[in-house]
Amino acid sequence: MEYVIETEELTKTFGSNEVLRGISLRIKQGESYVVIGGSGSGKSVLIKCILGLIEPTGGVIKINGKDVAKLSPKELYKIRLKCGVLYQGGALFDSLNVIENVSFGLIYGLHVSPKEAYRIALEKLEAVDLDKSVATIYPAELSGGMSKRVALARAIATDPDIIFFDEPTTGLDPITSGIINDLIVRCTKEMGISAVSITHDINSLKHISDRVGLLFKGKIIWEGTNRELITTDNPYVVQFINGNSVGPFTAAS
Amino acid sequence: MLLDKIGSLFIKFLCSIGSISLFSARAVISGFMPPYYWKQIFYQAIQIGYFSLPVVGMTALFTGMAMTLQCYAGFSEFTAENAIPSVVMIAMTRELGPVLAALMVAGRLGAAMTAEIGTMKVTEQIDALTTLSVNSYKYLVFPRILTGTFLVPFLVLIDDIIGILGGYLVGVYYLNFNAANYIRNTLESLVAWDIVSGLIKGAVFGFVICLMGCYHGYFSKGGAEGVGRATTNSVVASSIMILLLDGVLTFVLF
Repeated sequence: MEYVIETEELTKTFGSNEVLRGISLRIKQGESYVVIGGSGSGKSVLIKCILGLIEPTGGVIKINGKDVAKLSPKELYKIRLKCGVLYQGGALFDSLNVIENVSFGLIYGLHVSPKEAYRIALEKLEAVDLDKSVATIYPAELSGGMSKRVALARAIATDPDIIFFDEPTTGLDPITSGIINDLIVRCTKEMGISAVSITHDINSLKHISDRVGLLFKGKIIWEGTNRELITTDNPYVVQFINGNSVGPFTAAS
Repeated sequence: MLLDKIGSLFIKFLCSIGSISLFSARAVISGFMPPYYWKQIFYQAIQIGYFSLPVVGMTALFTGMAMTLQCYAGFSEFTAENAIPSVVMIAMTRELGPVLAALMVAGRLGAAMTAEIGTMKVTEQIDALTTLSVNSYKYLVFPRILTGTFLVPFLVLIDDIIGILGGYLVGVYYLNFNAANYIRNTLESLVAWDIVSGLIKGAVFGFVICLMGCYHGYFSKGGAEGVGRATTNSVVASSIMILLLDGVLTFVLF
């Protein structure tokens, strides 16, 4: 079976700090995989390694069956066009307005004409329940929830095969978080896009995941389906899901 | 112990030089390959060339004025007042024009570049550029370096003209020089090489300012404090480099 994302014994070290210690993941087409773990457990580093933003120290990363380490920069750019990313803070370009942000990847990445790119961008804004009126607003004027929606519209604008969500509901109120979760499910399931997410938000986790991996000290120590997450007696998962202060997770870990 | 420290500082210094060289090579090489981001280049040209004019012009005007007065104080003791227009002209075109314009641009634009790119770095906007398949060196760095290299000489030229004009205003309207004589003395000592050497300095300074501004922003880390530190480092590094290169270039172009 071909996986959209595959990692084998992925390691990443910063100086003497071993952040990832042999991660092996396999994510299927159309699957929504969520990585959970404590702060500093290496979740963001894992995603950045997969996206090629950080060079791993060791191991193999394959996207759509292609070993990214063996790709030329040009091929890597092509692979990246098939990946959408929703960053934790949105990472919208401050100097560009909403429509320019959403159409950015289309114009500069796919080299679509600006007119066509704006038409597609408006469609994507509609897909995340935003209308034309926000098109000329700059990111600084948007609320947290709206920023996330615009960032989501930008992430899906190039019709990616895989979307990465970096803590998509962080800093949002429960209602807005629920709306973002619904949008994520809608975008991934309706469009058949595979998703890799990292989150601390348990509600979001239950809502958007098909499969979950628990990252602890740079290793995936538990992996299971959304349903198994609730039924497992793994002490790490139980403590994480219930937010208990007592258990195998400590503040130092 | 002391040797250890000196050695480690020296290695750090060499690493920085290597890192800056690689950074500039990446930016320049990527910039010359299609696609070309004309909109970005045009935007930066306006920022550097147009919006820097007031601050550069003001500096030049007052420097030219002050210089004429200071020269008069010294030259009048030897009844050598006639040499003032030539001295002001040579000083402005060969030295003060390029250095002052560059220092002003470093303070205004170098800092702004570092702050803007640094903020983009810490808010993951540069990562977003990369994941949208846009080469951040080509999109962010090259347009700045290109326009800085070509437009700082233009600012130097404006600086020269306004500085000489400042000298003329003080000379004619305050020190009561004869206007026609002042202009004749200025033009008689005008040598094309004086202006060209100043423009060459301007191009080198423009490249250095933009390179430093982008480099420090691109590698800033640690949130707002990190961006602030990078901005300070950028301005200090640019200013030192301008003065250092001014010395070197003056020897080379003398």
